[in-house]
Amino acid sequence: MTCVELQQSLAEIEDGSGAEQRAHLETCPTCLALLAELNLIASSARDLSEANEPSPRVWNSIEIVLRTEGLIRPPRADRPHPASFAARWGFARWMVPAAAALLILVGIYVRQHSLASPENMATIPAQQPLQDAAAAGLNDDELLQEVADKTPATQAQYQDHLRRANEYIQDAKQDVQADPNDEEARRSLMEAYQQKAMLFDMAMDRSLP
Amino acid sequence: MTDPKPRQSKDVSEAQAIERAKQGDAEAFQVLYDMHKRRVYSLCLRMTANTAEAEDLAQEAFLQLFRKIGTFRGESAFSTWLHRLSVNVVLMHLRKKGLPVVSLEETTQGSGGEEDTPKKDFGAEDVALAGSIDRLQLRRAVESLPPGYRTIFVLHDVEGYEHNEIATIVGCSIGNSKSQLHKARMKLRDLLKMQRAEKAEKS
Repeated sequence: MTCVELQQSLAEIEDGSGAEQRAHLETCPTCLALLAELNLIASSARDLSEANEPSPRVWNSIEIVLRTEGLIRPPRADRPHPASFAARWGFARWMVPAAAALLILVGIYVRQHSLASPENMATIPAQQPLQDAAAAGLNDDELLQEVADKTPATQAQYQDHLRRANEYIQDAKQDVQADPNDEEARRSLMEAYQQKAMLFDMAMDRSLP
Repeated sequence: MTDPKPRQSKDVSEAQAIERAKQGDAEAFQVLYDMHKRRVYSLCLRMTANTAEAEDLAQEAFLQLFRKIGTFRGESAFSTWLHRLSVNVVLMHLRKKGLPVVSLEETTQGSGGEEDTPKKDFGAEDVALAGSIDRLQLRRAVESLPPGYRTIFVLHDVEGYEHNEIATIVGCSIGNSKSQLHKARMKLRDLLKMQRAEKAEKS
């Protein structure tokens, strides 16, 4: 099997496990590297399955249509009212202003970047958003502790969500630092912080029974 | 789909929400929406590469789901049902726009186009993709794929559908699905290497 044949055969047996493929791969580091790169792309793709959050406009529009079409009906009078926010969350109420503060700070940060000249960009500390986040009182460990206290079963999920959000922030930050004029990278950084803020919001709304 | 994998494995609460939504409970609809919005929206965004279109399509998918929720009997996983419905909404949209859902060529061999010719320099040690791939770069590269390749790549590698399922969904042969996927990955590899090279030049 030649290199060209190997490449063609990967469409049919994508993991390179065919007998002829294996024989070729044992002697050809170039094709082995190609296979590793294709596998890396395939495995990285799963991270994109929930990478984006729709804007609130989507739910608002859905809700309007559901009400217009009569699919949402008024609640029955005998249903107990949900517990008040304070009763449900106790001292975790600090998360609301903290999440709001984070969003505002990130907005200011991204706006500063968009207005700053490339020369000035060098003077803006790279760690600023994270410091802002810390100043706003947003601490991953505290969030996880809150979730663990209230609903231990969801702690692993939140841990995973937080890890992904933090990785996304790091990726986006690197792109902004590499090219401060990259509008899309700045937008991604904003989105990344919004996602993290939404996690805190979600924890408040969803982690309780 | 082998691994529907909803992010929140709240089977009980999801089942309760479905039953309450059947009764017209507004909060239940929102619970179901919150559970699945990221996956549905991301699917729409990956396949259209357009934020506004993706939001409209996600909205349409959820509305279709909620209108039919009274008929859901739980024979299949709710998430599988929703995601399949979402894929159909997106494919219908692409067809209406006249975009190819899948490329016309049938198999790996013999179509003879430039895209089909194996590159002699593949694997060249110019810029290696070792380590990990930046998600933002991967997102951009996927957006740059031709629509036909993008559809198959998103359905298989991002959403986890098998080739036989993709063949049924988009109406192509299994061989075509495999061929398109391989070409999509090769194209992505080129795009990612170009991105890395550009980044290296800048820094």
